[in-house]
Amino acid sequence: MSSRRTWRFLALPGVVWLSVFFLVAFYAVLAVALGNENSLSEPVPFWNPLDWNVGYLLEVLRDIVHGGHYLTVFLRTFAFVGIAMALSLAIGYPVAYFAARHTRGRWRGLVLLLLVLPFWINYLMRMLAWINLLSADGWATRFLHTVGIERLFIWLGLLSTEGGWLDGQPSTVILALVYGYIPFLILPLYAVLDRIDQRQIEAARDLGASALSGFLRVTLPLSVPGILAGVVLVALPMFGDYYTPDLVSASTKTNIIGNQIDQLTRQGSEKVTGAVLTILLSLLLVVLMVYYLRTTRRADEETANA
Amino acid sequence: MTRWFRNPWGKPRWLVVVTALYIVWSILPVGIAILFAFNNGRSRTTWQGFSLRWFTGSTGSVLHDPALQGALKHTLFLGVLCVLVATPLGVALALGLQRWRGRGSGTVNTMMLLPLVTPEIVMGVALLLLFLNVFPGLGLGTKAQAIGQVTFTLSYVVVIVRGRLVSIGREYEEAAADLGAPPHDQLLRVLLPLLAPAIIASAAVVFALSIDDFVVTQYLSSDASTTTVPMLLYATARGAPTPALNAIATVTLLITLATLALAFFVYRRFAGGGQAAVAAALEV
Amino acid sequence: MPGEIHLQELTKRFADVVAVDGIDIDMPAGEFFTLLGPSGCGKTTTLRMIAGFERPTSGQIVLDGVDVAQVPPHRRNVNTVFQSYALFPHLDVAANVAFGLKYQRCTKEERRKRVAEALGLVQLSGFERRKPTQLSGGQQQRVALARALVLRPHVLLLDEPLGALDARLRKNLQVELKALQAELGITFVFVTHDQEEALTMSDRVAVMNGGRVEQAGSPREVYEQPETVFVADFLGVSNLLSGEATAGDDGACVLRMGERALRAAQGATASRGQVKAMIRPERISVEPHGTAGDNRVPGLVERAVFLGNAFELHVRIVGGDILKTMVANDGSATDLEEGAAVTLHLPAEAVRVLAPSEPAAAEEPATAS
Repeated sequence: MSSRRTWRFLALPGVVWLSVFFLVAFYAVLAVALGNENSLSEPVPFWNPLDWNVGYLLEVLRDIVHGGHYLTVFLRTFAFVGIAMALSLAIGYPVAYFAARHTRGRWRGLVLLLLVLPFWINYLMRMLAWINLLSADGWATRFLHTVGIERLFIWLGLLSTEGGWLDGQPSTVILALVYGYIPFLILPLYAVLDRIDQRQIEAARDLGASALSGFLRVTLPLSVPGILAGVVLVALPMFGDYYTPDLVSASTKTNIIGNQIDQLTRQGSEKVTGAVLTILLSLLLVVLMVYYLRTTRRADEETANA
Repeated sequence: MTRWFRNPWGKPRWLVVVTALYIVWSILPVGIAILFAFNNGRSRTTWQGFSLRWFTGSTGSVLHDPALQGALKHTLFLGVLCVLVATPLGVALALGLQRWRGRGSGTVNTMMLLPLVTPEIVMGVALLLLFLNVFPGLGLGTKAQAIGQVTFTLSYVVVIVRGRLVSIGREYEEAAADLGAPPHDQLLRVLLPLLAPAIIASAAVVFALSIDDFVVTQYLSSDASTTTVPMLLYATARGAPTPALNAIATVTLLITLATLALAFFVYRRFAGGGQAAVAAALEV
Repeated sequence: MPGEIHLQELTKRFADVVAVDGIDIDMPAGEFFTLLGPSGCGKTTTLRMIAGFERPTSGQIVLDGVDVAQVPPHRRNVNTVFQSYALFPHLDVAANVAFGLKYQRCTKEERRKRVAEALGLVQLSGFERRKPTQLSGGQQQRVALARALVLRPHVLLLDEPLGALDARLRKNLQVELKALQAELGITFVFVTHDQEEALTMSDRVAVMNGGRVEQAGSPREVYEQPETVFVADFLGVSNLLSGEATAGDDGACVLRMGERALRAAQGATASRGQVKAMIRPERISVEPHGTAGDNRVPGLVERAVFLGNAFELHVRIVGGDILKTMVANDGSATDLEEGAAVTLHLPAEAVRVLAPSEPAAAEEPATAS
């Protein structure tokens, strides 16, 4: 049909836009990372791949291999994200499970609304709320002190000083990451748990499985794809997060890779190194990105061809 | 109490408890922050009575403080600008992609999905370097911020509109063609009216994403005049500011929620069913 | 008279599936032409190619002497009534009906008149301001009809338009549609899988299977003189008999089934060897057991299904075949219950020898492709 070609032209402006402001932008990062610096410490990008200068890249890699500063930062990032993710799953899965399998009608609408609400509240406002609550005379600080949790944390080495929740504490950063990202994990989990056919679980119960056994042997395995999807969906932005540690810690002791990039690129004048770190971070995340894209594209195509 | 807990056919009560606790933990802090926006004193941690001074008072309030005013205005301006550019661009892209059969469609589709999975700092750095090295003429500032925001919100429009396109199907266009309508009329007289709810919903989503955006907007800002509310929150949160900060955050939140509620009701009224709207929100 | 369609070697291939396999059909102008077949036989694809929504892989669609196979749908003088009506939900009835008039250059006054005319034709006068969602299925279908007819096309295509309606409504609309076509005199091309519908309404029927046309002809022709097993089976109960065909007299052949011999005067009587023959249930007479005469076979009633106005008897004859026949419930046949012995009279003129379809197809049931 001749109209097929006409339709295709509609996509042109969007394609051009994304090519320039996304693809070319990313290429600019490559060109800067593999470029040079001038006397004013401004980056001089090398656009031609044949000219690429791996000097700065090697410098960073050498630092990592020899256990230097950047390696510490990367390892800390993995630790923070890993722990935050585990905690998020531990809290998020039961909540998603409840919402998917034990709510109906009006209640479900309400619960879903409350679960979706954090999406639309400004992330910074949610962190601001905690900054207020955890400051020296904040309500949370007082509460945790009274209830003894503060003492527990100090005893466990998770808190350095009384009331010093916001003073460069890794535990605070991790908990803040959990608070910030858990809503983004709960919804994909909910979606997959909702889709599991109730009858399969009933069949398991009919065959003699207890509630717990039915869960472990039927529901949990069936929800694994959703868990993976949710984890990937949340891990990607978490790895790039810098503002959460900045807000609840404000100390370079808790620097993760996002902070490092931000400090070099936006706040400082080492844009080339910053670009190098950005490339390394992206390579690290490519595996996650490809996995997520492949599963989304399959779902997209299935609906598009239907 | 024991009966309630141990009923084998009832909902596992511990799940109810966990969920309830989670929801409280999730929302209460924000509720408290909003509460303190109405604090009578300058503290953000000690309640000193109810007052609207941080919203409408003569000094230091959202209404009268120049810095707060400026940030709010700039935020809303960027929001509107972003909607005006991203929505038509995204609708066109969705239509083009949906009808595209053959080479290149897979690649374009992937390219469209990439911004959704790229961490914001990567986008921020990329756009910063782009504007510094490739478009020095444009430079940083409002235009750059707008462009950056459009770039990452575009994909949301495409996903929402495309979802609606799929459920509409092709038969209305075929009917229109059968009755003599050339392709452009099929689009204008039939498809676009049917897509209107999805377009409005995606415009609302773009607006909400834009006014809440932080990283890209910060990376592409130039000076104090290009500060937005999220940037303001970030810069002063740890300082010793007044509850005016809570107030402006509350105002922004209200604007977001109002926009979304409006879009939800429009979508529901014209596209039939809150299911669709929730699904659209979940896509995001 | 305009509205004549010739499909010449029309083929449509989707990836490796051949939906329409080089068919040739002639649809004379002004006739009610039906494409009949099971789902997957290619009838809807053929219709869509005539409408212009699918581009043929090869072949020609000649409309009034012009090959329109490459012409986009909005430029063909052909209109469609869709299976799901496809009424524009954002427009009211009048705007829906008037939709295509925009491309026919008429004044506002003319437009209003023609819309009123079209709605009158389908007995929906006064419904102008209603919205499609406020209409019943039958009403929506009429609006779809009006919307197409208002443009005065030479050909109207109908894609299983009565499929979504309940039985009584369907019967009423069948009569109405047929009357409408006769009144307007334009060519109707009707697609259905319901053979009763096809037989009731059509001037001509093309029976399709697996992308090919098995037979085309008037309803009586395809029902009484099916050329293949598929057509025989699809259009009604076909009562297949297996036997060996040998020479007979007067151009008929004699079918040998075990010790019995039946004279078959219809169909491929020149065939020899193992063949299948068919007889329609209504041509079989049930006679008391032991009645003598030509073309009579004894049998045992295996089942007697009560249908209200008749009994459908399933009679097993010698040789093992089961023949179905109908006996009116007029109070006379009181001894026709299961296990009863009867004699079936199969008149020679009603026994039709069938040409094998594709040899494999004769054995297997029609599968959707």
